[in-house]
Amino acid sequence: MPASPPGSPRSFSTPSPHIEVEGLELYYGSVPAVRGVNFNVMPGEQLTLLGPSGCGKTTTLRAVAGLEQPTAGEIRIGGVPVFSSAQKINIRAEKRGLSMVFQSYAIWPHMTVFDNVAYGLRVRKAGATEITEKVDRALEMVQMREFGGRRASQLSGGQQQRVALARAFVFQPSVLLFDEPLSNLDAKLRADMRIELRDLQHRLGITSLYVTHDLEEALAMSDRIVVMRDGLVEQIGTPDEIYSLPRSEFVADFIGSANLIRGRHRPDLDSDGLTALETATGQLIYGMAYGRRARPEMTVSVRTVHLRISQERPAGERNVWPVKIEKTVFQGDFSQIHLYWGDQRLVARCAAMEPLAAGRDVYLAVEPRRVVLLGAGNS
Amino acid sequence: MGSWFSTQKVAGYGVAAIAAVLVLYPVYFLLQAAFDVGDPQVRPPTAYGVDNFSSLLQYPQIMLNTLTVSLAATVMALMFGSLMAWILTRTNVPGRRLFEQLMAVPYYLTPLLGALAWSLLGQPESGFINGIWRALGGQGHLIDINTPYGIAWVMALFEGSVAFVMIAALMKSMDPSLEEASQVIGASRIRTIMRITLPLVTPGVLGAAIFVFAEMLGSFAVALVLGLPTRYYVITTAIYQMIQQYPPKIQVAAAMGASLFAVMWAMLYMYRRVVMSGSYVTITGKAFRPRLLDVGRLRYVLLGICLLYLFVAVVLPLATLFFASLQKIATIFPTAENFTLDNFRTAMTMNAVRSALSNSLLLAFGTATIGIVLMGLLAWLIYRSRLPGGGMIEYIVMFPQAVPRLVFAFGLMWAWVVFPIPIYATLWLLLIAYLTVFLPLGVRTIAGVILQIDKSLEECAQMCGASWTFRVRTVTIPLLRPGLVAAWLLLFIASVRELGASILLMGPHSKVITPSIVESWFGTSSELTAALALIQTLVVALAIIVLVAVTRRVSAQPVD
Repeated sequence: MPASPPGSPRSFSTPSPHIEVEGLELYYGSVPAVRGVNFNVMPGEQLTLLGPSGCGKTTTLRAVAGLEQPTAGEIRIGGVPVFSSAQKINIRAEKRGLSMVFQSYAIWPHMTVFDNVAYGLRVRKAGATEITEKVDRALEMVQMREFGGRRASQLSGGQQQRVALARAFVFQPSVLLFDEPLSNLDAKLRADMRIELRDLQHRLGITSLYVTHDLEEALAMSDRIVVMRDGLVEQIGTPDEIYSLPRSEFVADFIGSANLIRGRHRPDLDSDGLTALETATGQLIYGMAYGRRARPEMTVSVRTVHLRISQERPAGERNVWPVKIEKTVFQGDFSQIHLYWGDQRLVARCAAMEPLAAGRDVYLAVEPRRVVLLGAGNS
Repeated sequence: MGSWFSTQKVAGYGVAAIAAVLVLYPVYFLLQAAFDVGDPQVRPPTAYGVDNFSSLLQYPQIMLNTLTVSLAATVMALMFGSLMAWILTRTNVPGRRLFEQLMAVPYYLTPLLGALAWSLLGQPESGFINGIWRALGGQGHLIDINTPYGIAWVMALFEGSVAFVMIAALMKSMDPSLEEASQVIGASRIRTIMRITLPLVTPGVLGAAIFVFAEMLGSFAVALVLGLPTRYYVITTAIYQMIQQYPPKIQVAAAMGASLFAVMWAMLYMYRRVVMSGSYVTITGKAFRPRLLDVGRLRYVLLGICLLYLFVAVVLPLATLFFASLQKIATIFPTAENFTLDNFRTAMTMNAVRSALSNSLLLAFGTATIGIVLMGLLAWLIYRSRLPGGGMIEYIVMFPQAVPRLVFAFGLMWAWVVFPIPIYATLWLLLIAYLTVFLPLGVRTIAGVILQIDKSLEECAQMCGASWTFRVRTVTIPLLRPGLVAAWLLLFIASVRELGASILLMGPHSKVITPSIVESWFGTSSELTAALALIQTLVVALAIIVLVAVTRRVSAQPVD
């Protein structure tokens, strides 16, 4: 086991966060990259910064690493400030006791695989036997033991990725940072590495901060996700929360595919804990607020997979509408069905079924609990 | 970290200031002399005016000569360059790869060596070719190298390689699907060439023409060796003559230099405009695999053209010099007792030659070593640091590119004569001159190396906990080393063969090899000169062999 920071991963008595980021701002000249970001990473947790390119996620990670100097805010690791604009503290990257896996792998081409992995240990002046032992074990863990004598130029992308990983954890850092480590791999390898990386992180029990723009990767690997946009945090939550209960149109749209429906609140029709919404063309839809406050004008989000289509009218009164099919797009594992719903078009994703001809009349239904009211709240 | 950034700033701006002084100080003195209309014996000038420039009108012949030679050389260089580029990039001629690499050899042989060799070959009376012509029963002479077109021919052969490099790059960067698209639509091959290929390459070729013309305007060595015997002057040799004669016409020479510099600067500006605005082809920066034209039997004709080019530009000049250097009196049909090794013996034992050669090697060593540090810092400052003003520094550093070295050296000479520290006519002045005129070469070479190295390779070492010194020692320097060694050798080679700046700046006790070769040509014998030129070529060739070996190692070990 790697050296645990104060507040060991498994201890219940000290639930103090391992990494704390407070009011982080970073400007390049007058151009803002990060505009005030707050989040904590608990010991042993894998937290992912997720967002489209240019949202400030990599800049935030590099600020935690110490590779970029923030303009304002505070970063603490294990309770100790490593950057604080107020106290004028800025500890150099090499003194922060972190480790990082780079997007480009950054395998040194002039060294062998063994020397690459041993680098962090040599920096720490480890003895020769200790180095051999630890490097071998680390290479073993990433299934690269027999490649120790090779040069980086003789490795494939996936192999370089494994070496970069072994190099990052071999000296038992307290925190591992990942900057889109899988984005240069092909789709199949990426899916395999995702699982491997998650397993490894669990085995090492190491606190990790992970950056990606890939939704599936974030959902599959994270304990919690921070969704970022334009240098700000949009939402923080577990993958399930982020997926099921998006707070904003941006999160609903970015995380998977969702239909967004805007309308007027009809408090007079609210019943059974459901919130009623009426669109401009008079369609009524019932959804759930999940603790969020209903406002006169509001938006709900419905995942495409939660819309159900049937030829017979399904039982139940609420959230059932006769609709007309615009077109069906066959996509292998599922079909994407485009529908006219009032003056709006909705998209439903159904397990592959017999193709429905354009112009056909069918019924559309959705459970009210799947209709999520957007907005800030205590979820 | 805060303090480290300010150290960076101090170091960065310090180096930038040194570069600015190196470049701008001589230019200032050049302009001062050009506008000085007072008593030439008194410094600083007593009166300023533009009379020196209007007096240039008294030399219409020189301007005409310059234009004739430069235009003829440019046309020839473009013809050779396009033909060779087309053959080597677009046809299936045998041995394309090898020929492409060999195309750089004439440039490395230097225009001076080419001029000496072709002078031995093509002088109307004693030239080897004319000797053979007469032996075959011809009358008078077949060729005369001491004519404008002779001069242009040698310039095109030995200084025109850049036309080939530019046009070949252009043809390589052209997406073949642009031509294929035309053919798929149904256009014939000729129509495709006329309507697609030519319009696409025209801006690039025009750019190459302007660039080559500017280079020919500033060319010096060939016109000196081949023009001086018949008193045929172009602008650079005229400037040289005016400075060397007694009494010197410093002010007129300065005005000539300033005008030449202004014209070249304008040409290079035009070149940039043309390349930036009109080039549809090179924008992607992607190297495409060009479609090779199967030329059938014709490929052996094309192979013959390639071999012929290398024969007249490489084999023949070297063989001629070697042949001449082994004779007492160089002639095409020597008797057995005419052969001798004395020229080489003299060359190796003469004090003047030995000191010139050792001075050159010492200077080249110093220039390359100091240059690596200075130019490395400048390259890092311009291309890696985020310090403001990087663009301005790049502009200053690239400035010597637009000034012929002879003109630059003139400014240097004039500047350092009045400098309080007595370095005039010493090796120190030559060192300063070399460091200045090779700024563009060095900075561009090192920048290429720095830009190749992914930043995260250094950052990763930092994240592994390595301190700055440990990182530099274990990651930065090992990664940069092959590139720095290559840049060192390039600077070394350039210094050993430098003529334009050295010929004005060397003093009686600070002779260097290339100007000494010129002195020997005009002062002693052509046979001894041939031996000297071969010795210099050997030194440069050794350096090039090491350079190629080093570059091979770099490419065998790709950097991320």
